[in-house]
Order: sequence, then C-alpha cells, then structure tokens
Amino acid sequence: MEFAIFFFFAAVAVIFALVVVLHRNPVVGALSLVASFFALAVMYVLLEAPFLAALQVIVYAGAIMVLFLFVIMLLNLQHVAEPVTRPVQQFLGYTSGAAFGLGLLYYIVKYAVFAKLPAGPFVTDARTIGIKLFEAYVFPFEMVSILLLAAIVGALLLSGRQYQKREAAP
Amino acid sequence: MIPTHYFLILSAILFTIGVVGVLTRKNGITIFMSIELMVNAVNLTFLAYARQFHQVHGLIFVFFIMAIAAAEAAVGLAIFITLFHHRDTIDVDEANLMHW
Amino acid sequence: MPFDATDIGLSILKIAIVLFMMLNITPIMVWVERRGSALIQDRPGPNRVGPFGLFQSFADALKFILKEDIVPAGAHKWLYTLAPAVGLFPALTTIAVVPWGRDFRLPEKVWFGHRFFEGRPLFEPVIANVNAGILVVFALASLAVYGIVIAGWSSNNKYSLFGGIRASAQMISYELSLTLAAVSVLLVAGSLRLTDVVWEQTKYFVLFDTIKIPAWNVFSPAMWIAFIVFSVSAFAETNRLPFDFAEAEAELVAGYHTEYSSMKFALFFMAEYMAMGTMSALVVTLFLGGWDIPWYNEPPTWQGFVLSALFFLVKVSVLLFVFVWVRWTIPRLKYDLLMKIGWKVFLPLAILNIVIVAAFIAAGWL
Repeated sequence: MEFAIFFFFAAVAVIFALVVVLHRNPVVGALSLVASFFALAVMYVLLEAPFLAALQVIVYAGAIMVLFLFVIMLLNLQHVAEPVTRPVQQFLGYTSGAAFGLGLLYYIVKYAVFAKLPAGPFVTDARTIGIKLFEAYVFPFEMVSILLLAAIVGALLLSGRQYQKREAAP
Repeated sequence: MIPTHYFLILSAILFTIGVVGVLTRKNGITIFMSIELMVNAVNLTFLAYARQFHQVHGLIFVFFIMAIAAAEAAVGLAIFITLFHHRDTIDVDEANLMHW
Repeated sequence: MPFDATDIGLSILKIAIVLFMMLNITPIMVWVERRGSALIQDRPGPNRVGPFGLFQSFADALKFILKEDIVPAGAHKWLYTLAPAVGLFPALTTIAVVPWGRDFRLPEKVWFGHRFFEGRPLFEPVIANVNAGILVVFALASLAVYGIVIAGWSSNNKYSLFGGIRASAQMISYELSLTLAAVSVLLVAGSLRLTDVVWEQTKYFVLFDTIKIPAWNVFSPAMWIAFIVFSVSAFAETNRLPFDFAEAEAELVAGYHTEYSSMKFALFFMAEYMAMGTMSALVVTLFLGGWDIPWYNEPPTWQGFVLSALFFLVKVSVLLFVFVWVRWTIPRLKYDLLMKIGWKVFLPLAILNIVIVAAFIAAGWL
C-alpha cells in the first residue's frame, strides 16, 4: 500500500516537473509545479513529517506559487511566445544535465543504500520542532526573520515605485 | 516502510529536471521555477536523511529553506517585474546591461 | 495498520453524513440567499415553486443541467474544464478535520447474530482527527485560490483575467491575517488538534465566583480582536460580498466565471456556498465553542452526541445567515481599500492580538 502511494505520487511529481521544464506556456508550467509540490507534500507525509507537509502546501502551493501566477498574469506573459533556445545551448543543456543526473544516480545507488531504518517512531510534531527551533536554532531563526524583512524592503524598492509611475494597479 | 534511497533517487531525478530547466530555458520565470524545483528536491533529501538517522535537525533545515525560498521568490519576482518594465520581456538573454 | 471493518464502516458513515450536509448546503443557501435578500430589500423574492419558493433551487439545478455547455474559442480547454473541479476540491475536503459533535463510546450490540462494537470503541464525530488539524485546514484553504485563478486565466477573457489577478492578490493578503488570528487560539489551546481546541472551550470563566460564562474564545478578554479579524478575513477568503473582487459584477461582468455556463458554472456556485459552510464551521470551532452547549454538560452517550451535533448545526446556520445578511447590507469596497485594510489594519491587529494572548498566558490569566 505504502509503496503504491509512493510510486504513484513519485510519478506525479516527476511528470509534472517535466511539464514545468518542457511546456512553453508559463501558466501551465506554474500550475504543474503546484501539482508537483503537492505530490512532494505526500512524500513528506510518507517520511513521517506531516507538519512539514502542511507547511509545504501552505508556503509553496499557497503562497509562493500564487505569487508566481500573479506576476505571470500581471505581466501578461501567457501570450508572449518564448524565443527558441539556440540548438547549441539545447544540446549542451540536455547532455550535461543528463550526465549530471546519471552521475548523481550512480553515486546514490552505489553509496547511499542503507541497511535498515532505526526502530521506534520518529517524533516530528509541532512541539518537537518548536522546542528545537527556539533552543538550538534561535540565532538562525532571528537571522531568517531579518532576511525576510530585507526581502520585503528589497522587493518594494525594486518593483514599487517604477511600477506606480507607469500605470495604476489593476 | 519505504527505504531511504527510494526518496534519494526521486530527489536526484527532480534535481536533474531542475538543472535541465535552468540550462535550456530562456523565460526568466520558468528558470526561476526550475530553481524552486531543485530547492524542493534538496528538501526531500533533507527529510529522507532526517528519518534515516532520526534527527530533527533535518526538518529544521527544511523549515529554514522554506522561509528563505519565500524571501527569494519575493525578491526574484520583483527583479523580473523591474526587468519587464525596462525591456518589455523577461527573456534572460535580454538582461545584458552588465554584459561586456 | 490492521484491517478493521468497524473502523472503516464508521469512517464511511461519517463521510456520508458530512458529504450529505455539504452537498445540501448549496440548494438551501441559494434559497436563503434569495429570500433573505428579498426580505432585506422589501420585495417578495422567489415564491412560485413550492411553498415559500422552497423548490426554486431544484428548478434552478434542473435548468443548469439542461443548459448548453459552452467552451469559448481561444480558451485553454483542459484548464477551462479543470477549474471548477479544482475550485470544489478545497471546499469539500477542509471540513474533514472539523469536529462536529461530542465523542462517545459505542455500546456493544448484537445484530444478525454478529457482535458489533466489541470493546466499546470511541466514536469521534470528525472524519480525520489529525495531529496538525488546523494546519491541514490552512493548507487546503490556501489551494482555494487556484480554482478562481485557473478559471480566470483559461477563459481567455480580460474580465475573467482581472478577476483571477484580483483574487490571487486578495487571497495572499487575507490568508496571512486569517492564519495569524488562528494562532492566538492555538496558543490558548496548546494544541493544533481541533478537537482539543473545542474541549478547551467547554470550560467556564467564573466571574465573582458566581457568574459562569462559557469559555468560548469570543468571550475571552484577549481574543475578541482575533475573532473579528478571523471572521472578516473569512469573508475575504470565501469571496463574499464586501470583498467579492473576483466576481464584482458591477465592474467585471461576472469576474472569473463570466465565460462559464451549465454545470461548470453550477460547480463554482456550489464551491462558493460550501466554502461558506466550511468557513462558518471553522469560526464556530475556533471561536464559538464548537459543539459545546453553554451551561449544559453533554452526557458522553449518543444522546449527548446528537444534541451537540444539532447545536453545532444551529451555530453554523446562524453564521451562514450572517454571511447572507452582510452580503445584502454592506456594499463592495474599493480595491485599494481592500489591500490597505488587509495589510495595514488586520495584519497588525492579528499580530498585536498574539502578543496580548501571549502576555495573558505568561501572566497566568488564561
């Protein structure tokens, strides 16, 4: 049963990831990426981390990808045909990517095969993560909040003023 | 229980797809989405190892990666909006102001 | 997990009950909405089909089924067809983690020579009592925007597209205040599980050693701000009238579903009313005590369960009527005002409320 779920959602994740990379239309790409992330959230549940699975859906599918779609629609990109990549770049991109992937798979199959999982439940509820986060990882946590603040200011600086000058918001 | 290397192989496949996307596409937003795909592949690896060694640290790293990805998306999309207003395109080949 | 026939049977029963309720919300609410608007605007409203026009919704449904299904030229066919289903999915699934009655132990029974409910299993009237309940709610609710965005984009119509763009911006903005308002509830309950949230609210605040007030989160001195923020954000999340910018029939024809017809349109309609039902159930669970009956100790038997479930239904119905009431009372805001309220009023208020609740907990008052 677990394996059936794994293989089904692994197939979903890979197929939709391929659509993201191969499809010409950015809106279809963004929606496929949402589907792929959703499948990954199922993987997280299989990895005994339901808390992070929920976060994955909230943060990625619910916020980041909506932002992507918003920008794609705002810039009205869906009608702009993407120029074809040069054949040299296509060839080099696919071959080097494939070589990289094959190398990665080779090393995983060769070295990363573990005997068995440790016994006992793996406690990953909100309480455990929270306690760890505010004890061992307080400093990184604060740094991330500062980073987020900087990102907000940066995004406003980059897109805010020029945008208002050109046209009113829809 | 699904063995850890299954997840690692899935993660490697997704990462490779992301790499190919970054290398072969010209649309800036698609490239950006490929990067997000790679980030998620890495998240999957973190969680797989976290379960393999029963370490909560892996989960916390994923937590941080998600926060940083949100920041990255905000800034990156702002850059693309600015680029679009200067060049009327988000083709990354057109962003050559600092090109020599 | 071992195969447990009783468990699976009970789950199917629960799903059937909830699904029946959710599917029947739409025709009833359409009737309530039309009659309610007529009441507020001092006109008769639909009164021809059946007593008080009660069967109007069924006539409407029949009409929807018989209408021609049109896919506009230039629409993205796949996504155009997919959009109503995507819109319906979060509305139908979110309710799964909401508890709708008091749990009780099933009595052992002998039916057809078989012994049922051996060892008196606990009947929990919630489809999935998951550890991270509230997070599941927000995860699924955050997917609600995709139905609207996909519909708006794939219709190949500029009004639909505007509806989709507005909806995406609005949902991102109000989801934040919605989530942060719920955080203060979780702080008090100390758990992400919604059943725990309800159990926490079955207690009482005692004033002057005599007056007992049910410890619903609305009555809590630290939490009414969160209640206001949450319920207003709920209106924005369900795209209901003071915030229905995705539809905005005065500006955008019909917004994201301008091009839709027949059952696809009906699905959007159903999704809207189901989302309303889910949001009302959530507000009741988080702030209005869930299935708790004030000043009454529900017995842990099936009678207690039925009473509490009925009381839960009453609370949800009252909130649903409030949704209708507000729709026909308050006019639509301006779009920039919506964004201003979301980011400059509700978000700071929600964060302030978290600080207040944390201070109350630190002082030992909650």
